Amino acid sequence: MKKLNLTRNTVILAVVLLLIVLYPLLGAKPYHLHLFILFFIWAMVASSWNLLNGISGINSLGNIGFMAIGGYGSAILAKTFGLSTLITIPLGGIIAMVLVTLFLGLPTLRLKGVYIALLTLIFADTLPTLLTQTRAVTGGAVGLHEIPPFFAGAGKIHNYYICLAAFLVMLYVIHRLIKSNTGLAFVALRDSENLATSLGVSRFRERLKVFAISALLSGLAGGFYVHSLGDISPTTLAIEPFLMGIAMMELGGIGTLFGPVLGAAIIVFGSEFLRLADVLRMTILGGLICVTILFFPGGLMQAFRKLGNLMDRRGKRKRGESVQAKVQSAD
Amino acid sequence: MESILNALVSGFVSGSLYAIMALGLTIIYGISRVFNFGHGIVAVLGGYLAWTFFTRASLPFVVSLLFMLPVMYLLGWLVYRYAIRGLMKKPNADFSTVLFMLGLGIMLENIILQIFGPRVKAVPELVTGSIMLGAIKIKNHELALMVIVLLGIIVLTQFFKRTRMGQAMRAVAQSIPGAGVVGINIERIFGYTFGLAFMVTGFSGALLASKYFMIPHIGWDWMVKGFVIVAFGGMGSIPGAVVGALVLGMAESFTTLALGAVWVWPVWFIMFLVLLLLRPQGLVGGRN
Repeated sequence: MKKLNLTRNTVILAVVLLLIVLYPLLGAKPYHLHLFILFFIWAMVASSWNLLNGISGINSLGNIGFMAIGGYGSAILAKTFGLSTLITIPLGGIIAMVLVTLFLGLPTLRLKGVYIALLTLIFADTLPTLLTQTRAVTGGAVGLHEIPPFFAGAGKIHNYYICLAAFLVMLYVIHRLIKSNTGLAFVALRDSENLATSLGVSRFRERLKVFAISALLSGLAGGFYVHSLGDISPTTLAIEPFLMGIAMMELGGIGTLFGPVLGAAIIVFGSEFLRLADVLRMTILGGLICVTILFFPGGLMQAFRKLGNLMDRRGKRKRGESVQAKVQSAD
Repeated sequence: MESILNALVSGFVSGSLYAIMALGLTIIYGISRVFNFGHGIVAVLGGYLAWTFFTRASLPFVVSLLFMLPVMYLLGWLVYRYAIRGLMKKPNADFSTVLFMLGLGIMLENIILQIFGPRVKAVPELVTGSIMLGAIKIKNHELALMVIVLLGIIVLTQFFKRTRMGQAMRAVAQSIPGAGVVGINIERIFGYTFGLAFMVTGFSGALLASKYFMIPHIGWDWMVKGFVIVAFGGMGSIPGAVVGALVLGMAESFTTLALGAVWVWPVWFIMFLVLLLLRPQGLVGGRN
């Protein structure tokens, strides 16, 4: 039964992926390409955030900050020093990783639960102040504009494929990570810290690792963000993007591989419809978070899993019936 | 010298306002271990309600404050009864309550924005005029605020110390199974706690609005400040919230004096970080 399920999911995935790859070639409008680029970037952010909150159970509220650090780092390196984006994006990710591990990973080693949420939130809240105060480098409240694209003359369609590739690679890395010993250690620490440490999992090392990896991936996503959109400002750290990230994880299904991706798709494409609602958009976003948590704590992934199980069961029954029919006809 | 004295006074004033604001947060956390991420908007809602009673029903401001309190109490009780109670029973209650309150806060903020609009609402000063203390000028309004805050803190501590309800809340805060064994209805106490905390928070919101300015969005600023204060002083401890608020209020006014207002946040973050490294339980907090 399990094998059948796997193939069905694989087929769905392959078809979706093929459609996404072919989409720009089928004459998509630039604006739709733009939406897809946003989706790829947000899916990266939400997936790396999910590594902390979902897989490891560390309640971080600062991942938009990690992303902004990576984005600013890469943008400044590319704009003022004229380095190639091939170097600046990884460097931006590494800057985010080092800063976050230093300022959040190490201090949170002694903290639990809501304290971590607080510290990470305040960390992300401090960034806009620092950004507006260092106008010479970061552009202050106006932010950075005309950030160089991935390569000279890169258009929307190039950005589309670059971000798609980055997203797929990142998703694959996260998938491998979750399946690896490190991922198992994260989950073990989340589910039972005492048992995990008694089995020789080092809480110190694993927690630093998960902060470092999540910050690195978020920082890389920030790099792809700035070079495909061309600008970044402290408003990236406002409450709306932050809530969008959280809604993506919760809506899609926190702690699963595809949940945040699904959530990103719903929020990015859905907020286009909600654009009509204008000011009510945030009300709807807030209400959506509330309703999901109250009534669908596992998010959409859980709903899909239930649906899949239901279909399997029905399939089994049908086949059972046909076997019975054969037996009867043989009689 | 004069500017230092002035900074001292203003630190004291904002510190005492922060103290009453942080109390609502620390009451909920101390008793039910739920961290209210909608705290700021609850405070703003209190301010707007008081403003509505004051301007629309043209009641005196003090009376409109009193009218606002039962509404806030009811809201707190409803939020507990119909949302938090269920969430607290589920696994991962820690974070799901945080996210729920966050979502609720955003929703409320935007509803307030729809009803009242984005413009600054002026809440009147309680008393006008000012007095001179040596070389420093203090507004009567600020003095009145400090007195109200002091009275509020005394009333709350006496409530927790003397009344049966307050004692029951303390018992729940110490040990939920223990309180259950001696016959305290835990869920009912949680309901009252949410009501009380929302009431205190709404009250602090009205006071803050009369000192600073009030727009729907300002709640997030107040809330994050409240977070730092309660964590700094020791979560769930009332003296902790007061001490934390005064220390951070002073830090704020002296940072403003020395470096400028924009540096308040980075200074707070560093102080918070250092404190968490040295004393994760906060300044006043006991063993955890």
